[in-house]
Amino acid sequence: MSPRLLVLIPSAVAINLAMGFLTNQLGLPLYLDTIGTVLTAALAGPVVGVVTGLVSQVVRSLYEGFIWLPFGFVQVAIALLAALAARGRGFRSTAASLGWGAFTGVGGGVVSALISYVVFRGVTATGVTAVTTLLAGAGLTRAQAVTAASVGTDLVDKMIVFALVGAALRALPMRVAARYPWAVRAVGR
Amino acid sequence: MKLHPYTPFLLVLATGLLAFLLPAPAGPAALYAVVAAAAVVTGMTRTVLAAALLTLPLWAFLLLLHAILPGGEGLAAAIAQGSRLGAVATASLMLIRGFEPSRFLDAASARGASLSAAYLVVSTLEAAPRLRRQAAAILEAQRARGLRIGGSAAGRLRALVPLTLPLVLGTLAEVDDRAMALEVRGFGGGQARTPLDPPSVTARDRMLRWAALLAVMASAAWRFL
Repeated sequence: MSPRLLVLIPSAVAINLAMGFLTNQLGLPLYLDTIGTVLTAALAGPVVGVVTGLVSQVVRSLYEGFIWLPFGFVQVAIALLAALAARGRGFRSTAASLGWGAFTGVGGGVVSALISYVVFRGVTATGVTAVTTLLAGAGLTRAQAVTAASVGTDLVDKMIVFALVGAALRALPMRVAARYPWAVRAVGR
Repeated sequence: MKLHPYTPFLLVLATGLLAFLLPAPAGPAALYAVVAAAAVVTGMTRTVLAAALLTLPLWAFLLLLHAILPGGEGLAAAIAQGSRLGAVATASLMLIRGFEPSRFLDAASARGASLSAAYLVVSTLEAAPRLRRQAAAILEAQRARGLRIGGSAAGRLRALVPLTLPLVLGTLAEVDDRAMALEVRGFGGGQARTPLDPPSVTARDRMLRWAALLAVMASAAWRFL
């Protein structure tokens, strides 16, 4: 692995963790904890994105305990879909970013719902579980409630993540972007 | 005498496996009790409380979803799942409290792990608090320029852009400087590190590892045979 990527990955992991602080300060019911993962996948391809996602999940576990480690698979899915978006020039405009974000949100949400239902019996992070409980109370089965809550929250979250990463990639000076061939393609330059 | 840095990871892994292999709800509940007792005996009572606090909302939702609302799996399932999460959370927080990155790296180097992997671990642990401070500084700077972080949801959502872009672009600008610093220090030359005082595997490490392995194998045999 080149020194540039070795520096990029820890920085992206740290961005993932720092976003939790910013969303808390803004009082937004979002995670945005995959910005670094999507960013590295769009800058340097799927392998670097997957490594960033997995390292993020492990480092988060060092602070919050290992119970959320199975959600590393969601980070992997998001990194792969973000790399696919970058290949398809999916960050060339805000509209394209939102579209790919919605697609990734559904994909990530389905993986997340599977893990939530199979491993955690539908009870995970407080916000999503509150939605699950409301939906279950409204008469949906556990599987339906978990899937709807996971996909719904991931859909909104990933649309915002992709829009923010797209804006950052388009704002990158050409001098910096030129060092990452995937980034140049992602924004359609 | 401290445990070898790999031993706590193996014990947490064994706890995770046992939590799902032992018969529910008594098995996971007993496992939770054993892990909590181990924490108290080793002077980590506060860790038990921290893990309990971490899993408290999960317990509440488990009871609500499975024991109170219709269509759930019942009280026994809620207790089993809550105990599983409690046991893993307590074991992992015990590991984290005693985790020393430098000892872990020395152990990894002694086993022939690559310098790149070692750098990735240390650099990430160093970068996380640095970026958090940077995010706080950006937040303060933007507020000083008149950015409002309260108000409607749409307004708070819009505030994300002037907070996130400087963080991401600033981080990417730093990547080049740091990568150059690594290159001029001959990073990537393929030379293995030689730890000065690598942690050793003691008899206590071996005993704990064998006990964990036997417990997992016995539980798996009981469950599947």
